[in-house]
Amino acid sequence: MPKCIIDGREVEFTPGQNLIEVAKSAGIDIPLFCYHPGLSVVAQCRMCAVEIEKMPKLQTACSTMATEGMVVKTKSEKTKENQESVMEFLLANHPLDCPVCDKSGECDLQDNSYKHGSSYSRYTEERRTYLDLDMGPVIKKNMNRCIHCTRCIRFGNEIAGLREMVALKRGNNTEITTIDGRPLETDYAGNYSDICPTGSLTLKDFRFKKRAWYLTKVPTICEGCSKGCNMEIQQDNDQIYRCVPRENLEINRHWLCDEGRFNFHYVEREDRLVDPARAKSSGIEICDWGTSIDAAKATLEGQRVAILLGSDLTQEEASSVLQFKAQHYADSPIFHFGTPGIVSSKDDGPEDRILKQKSKTSNLNGMEKLGIPGFERLPAEITAALVIRGGRAVLPPEIDGIEKVGIGVFMKDQAMMFSAILPGLSFAEKDGTILNYEGRAQKLKRAVQAPGQSKSLSEILMIWTNRKNSHGVA
Amino acid sequence: MGKKLLSEKFYKSMEKLESRYPSKVALLLPALHAAQEEWSWLPPEILDEVGAYIGVHPAQVREVASFYTMYNLKPVGKYHLKICTNVACCLRGSEELVEHCEKKFGIERGETTPDKRFTVVEEECLGACGTAPAMMLNDDYHESLTVSKLDQLLDHLE
Repeated sequence: MPKCIIDGREVEFTPGQNLIEVAKSAGIDIPLFCYHPGLSVVAQCRMCAVEIEKMPKLQTACSTMATEGMVVKTKSEKTKENQESVMEFLLANHPLDCPVCDKSGECDLQDNSYKHGSSYSRYTEERRTYLDLDMGPVIKKNMNRCIHCTRCIRFGNEIAGLREMVALKRGNNTEITTIDGRPLETDYAGNYSDICPTGSLTLKDFRFKKRAWYLTKVPTICEGCSKGCNMEIQQDNDQIYRCVPRENLEINRHWLCDEGRFNFHYVEREDRLVDPARAKSSGIEICDWGTSIDAAKATLEGQRVAILLGSDLTQEEASSVLQFKAQHYADSPIFHFGTPGIVSSKDDGPEDRILKQKSKTSNLNGMEKLGIPGFERLPAEITAALVIRGGRAVLPPEIDGIEKVGIGVFMKDQAMMFSAILPGLSFAEKDGTILNYEGRAQKLKRAVQAPGQSKSLSEILMIWTNRKNSHGVA
Repeated sequence: MGKKLLSEKFYKSMEKLESRYPSKVALLLPALHAAQEEWSWLPPEILDEVGAYIGVHPAQVREVASFYTMYNLKPVGKYHLKICTNVACCLRGSEELVEHCEKKFGIERGETTPDKRFTVVEEECLGACGTAPAMMLNDDYHESLTVSKLDQLLDHLE
């Protein structure tokens, strides 16, 4: 491999790599704003300019490819002087409202100002100011904080495939906005906030809810569809505040769709049933685990039972259900269900040209690997169903008319249809393996504690197995 | 898109012009000028129509149209005064001219009088530094201006 020299160290590189990436591979961070590995290179912000031997002027590291023997200085006097000047210009109009800014703590502008800026400002002129713009349900814009890096414009053009962000006017008056101030149309709008290097584009769902530094970040996988995008759940004190994409160049690159990003809200819904319950003449009543399991057993007793597994369960959960079935319901048919109209992975496929898949559950492929057939219709002789799911699989309407027991995540209105509910865990509350649309196995990681009395599926099945059958208890 | 807002004449003249440019995108600036000639300003629907004709995204049309000060993105009055306030003109008293207009018409720079007769804007360099201060009144140049010359000019307008 060819080599170049960065800050006196010999660094190997692949031809075509730019200096930012080469330096990063050697653990050297070059400060930057407009460069983003997932977007085109524009070399606008000038922050990444570095000194290169034999070149008369500083060169932007993002747009300069490494060449054999190139000698780069990222910490020379000239480089530092430029970084300080760029920071001074960028902060000339910036309101410096970090104490009330949502980006604070994870802001490139703040971090680079801390590392490379001056502690003083010489600017005494009036700052350009704008009113905030509401850019639809996902993003709010504060133009005063903007540094014109144009990452958002490029994201719209190159990734979302929509030219919805524009740079109007010119020079000092340049304004980044949507066409005629319209709301954003893309269903990937959350990424605008992720890539904004300042507090200019903030996520409405998250703003003013939590300071970034209090958040515990748990790497996990999105369960929104069969794509298996890598993401991070950010929580504090067992409350999830947001989900953000995690880089995986082979699956979701740097992005996450809004559906997946905001999917976590059901985990914390007020009307989620987190205590065991059984049917009563008027709706449902909360009871203890023993009573609800007795009610569940009584419901299925003597019936011809079908087992329906949500394809939002993990491999481990599905395997434990198969064992449970062999022990208790060996003759019962078992099916997986998840998305209306998607019976097998043959029906799955890309929903758009970016990330989304048609199957709206995460583990369709895993269910098939375990040999569980997809649900199409109930066999004629079936009189009752045991429904086990996470919080995402859509209950098939065919089971409306029959007696059923539910294990997993159910909202109160769904629970009404069941004779007994044994509350289980959502994707954020459990560890496990899921297989995405291409069969790639990935790990869900528990981010928050199980709420209320809910238990893991293996624990519920264990209690079920160990509890003596008490006939006639309803 | 519904009914076309730009005239047959516009489209005919564009067809003629097209051969002069290396690509159709290059036709964007003259097309905007021609559209503005018909409408006196460029409302969003016109920007969209020009974009559709040239084959560029409406967003790009807005970026270009807002970049250049000679495209009016707000309605302008019958008489559009564009007073140069760059270095040479500024040194020769253009600021006084702008202030005089503001007082005379009772508006701020960038605004239009309620009767839609006059619009006063600050313009970037008109390239007439030798005869500063300069101003454009609609499409005509007026150079070496003073407050009294400007008054004389304005008072003789209909």
